[in-house]
Amino acid sequence: MKLFDALTKVDRRIIYIILLVVVTLPLIFPSAQSVRVMPPVEKFFNAVDSIPPDKALIVDFDYTPQDMPELEPMGIAILRHAFKKRIKVLAVSLYVQPLGLAVRALQQVTEEFNSVATSNADSIIYGRDYVFLGWQVGPVNAMLTMGESIARFYPVDYYGNRTDTLPLMREIKNYRNVGLVTSLSPSDIPKYWVAYAQNRFGVRVSSGITSVSASEFYPYLQTGQFSGMLVGMKGAAEYEEIVEQNLNVKGRRKASESLPSLTYAHLLIIAFIVIGNVGYFLSRRHK
Amino acid sequence: MQRTFPLVLVFVFGILGILPFIIPHPVVQNTNDFLLNVFLKILLAFALVLGLGSLLKVHMDKIKRKRENWQYSWVLIGTFIVTSIIGLFGGVDGSGILPTHIGSFSFDIWTIYNNVEVPLGATMFALLAFFMASAAYRAFRARSFEATLLLISAFIVMIGVLPLGNRISPYIPSFAQWIMDVPNVAGQRGIQFGVALGAMATALKIILGIERSWLGGGGS
Repeated sequence: MKLFDALTKVDRRIIYIILLVVVTLPLIFPSAQSVRVMPPVEKFFNAVDSIPPDKALIVDFDYTPQDMPELEPMGIAILRHAFKKRIKVLAVSLYVQPLGLAVRALQQVTEEFNSVATSNADSIIYGRDYVFLGWQVGPVNAMLTMGESIARFYPVDYYGNRTDTLPLMREIKNYRNVGLVTSLSPSDIPKYWVAYAQNRFGVRVSSGITSVSASEFYPYLQTGQFSGMLVGMKGAAEYEEIVEQNLNVKGRRKASESLPSLTYAHLLIIAFIVIGNVGYFLSRRHK
Repeated sequence: MQRTFPLVLVFVFGILGILPFIIPHPVVQNTNDFLLNVFLKILLAFALVLGLGSLLKVHMDKIKRKRENWQYSWVLIGTFIVTSIIGLFGGVDGSGILPTHIGSFSFDIWTIYNNVEVPLGATMFALLAFFMASAAYRAFRARSFEATLLLISAFIVMIGVLPLGNRISPYIPSFAQWIMDVPNVAGQRGIQFGVALGAMATALKIILGIERSWLGGGGS
C-alpha cells in the first residue's frame, strides 16, 4: 500500500535532479542527430527555394533570449539557405529586445560564408546581399507601410545608413518585390503578418514558432495562408537537415545537437506520468 | 466633456482604421499613410515615455510603502538608471560620448545585453522545464475517458516529434502530424472563429461607445 502511495508522491526535487542530468549530459557531449523532414518543413524549404532572383526574403527576427534555443537555429538555417541560393534578405525586428539576437544570427552566417569566399562575388556583402532594417515603433504599422514603401517606414537601417542609398533597397521597394515573409516569433506576430501583409497586399508568409504555441498556428498552415511552418527545436533540426542535404551547406547544427536532450527529457516526463498513473490506479484498487 | 472627448476620439480613429481596408481612394490611403507613419509614431514615442514614467512611479511607491518584496524595486530602479545612462551617453557599442571601457573590460549596452539580458532571460524560461515535468507527473492522471484520450494523444505527439519516434516506426511521426493537422485544427478553428467574432463585436461596441468600461468607473 505504501509503495503505491510512494509512486504518486515522488519528491519534486528528485524529478528536478534527474531532469537536470538528462538534459545537461547530452549538451556537454553533443552529437547531431539526423531527423526525418516532415511536410510543413518541406513546404517551408520549397517556399524559400522558389523565391525568384528579382525578389527578396523578409526575415522577421522576433525571438527573445527566452525563446532563442528554439528559434535562433531556425533563423541561422534560413539565412544559410538564402545566402547559398543568393536570395536577397531584408531582416527586421518588430520589437526592441530581439535586435541583438538578429545581429548575432546575421553576423554568424555572413562570417561562415565570407570565411570560405574566394572573391567579392562569392562574399555576402551588407547592402548588396542583405540589409538589416532594425526596429521602428509599431509592429502593425511596419507590416502595413512596407506594402507601400519599405524605405518610407525605415528611412535608416539598424546601422544608421539611409536605406534609399543602399543598392539592395533600390531594387526592393515594397511587397511587390518580396517573395516571402518569414516570421520567427514566439507570439501572435505570424498571424498579424497574415492579417495585415498577406490579406491586404498578397505577400506569401511562412513562420517559425515555438512548440508550446504550435497548435494554434496549424489552421493557417492547412488553409495555405502559411507557405510552410517550422515548429520548435524539431522543426529547426529538420530545416538544418534539409538545408545540409539539398544545398550542402555545412555549419554547426545547434538544434540537431539539442535533440538528444529533448528526447531524454520527453522520455523522462512520459516515464514519470506512467509511474504516477500506475501508482494512482493501484492505490485506487486497494482502497 | 471628460467622457465625451475620449469617446469621440475612439469613434473617429476606429473608423479611420477600418476605412483604408475598404476604400482605395487616394485621400483615404494618404490619410492612413500619415496616421501610420507620422501621427502614430509620435504618439507611441510619448506612450513609451509615459510607460517608463509609470513603471518608475509604481516602484517608487512600492519602496515608499514598504510593500512585499520592495527591496527588488531598488534593483529595478538602479538597473534602469545605469542602463539608461550607458545607453543614452555610451551608445549601443560604446561609440557615444561616455567612456564605456576600462582597459579590456567594456560595459556598453551590447555587452550588457549579451552578458546579462540573454543569460537571465534564457535561465528564467529554462526553469519552466522543471516545473512542467513536476506538474505533468502530479496532474496528468487518466481519471476519465477524455483524460485517457488526452494522455494517449500527448504520448504519441511527444514521441512523434522526436527522432526516436521515427526509429520505432515511421508511422508514429505521421500519426503525430495527423493529430496536429486534423483533430487539433478542428478544435483550434472553432476557438479562433469564436475569438474573432468576439473581437469584432467588442471592437464595434467600443468604437460605437456602447462598451465604456475602458473609460474607468465601470461605465457609469
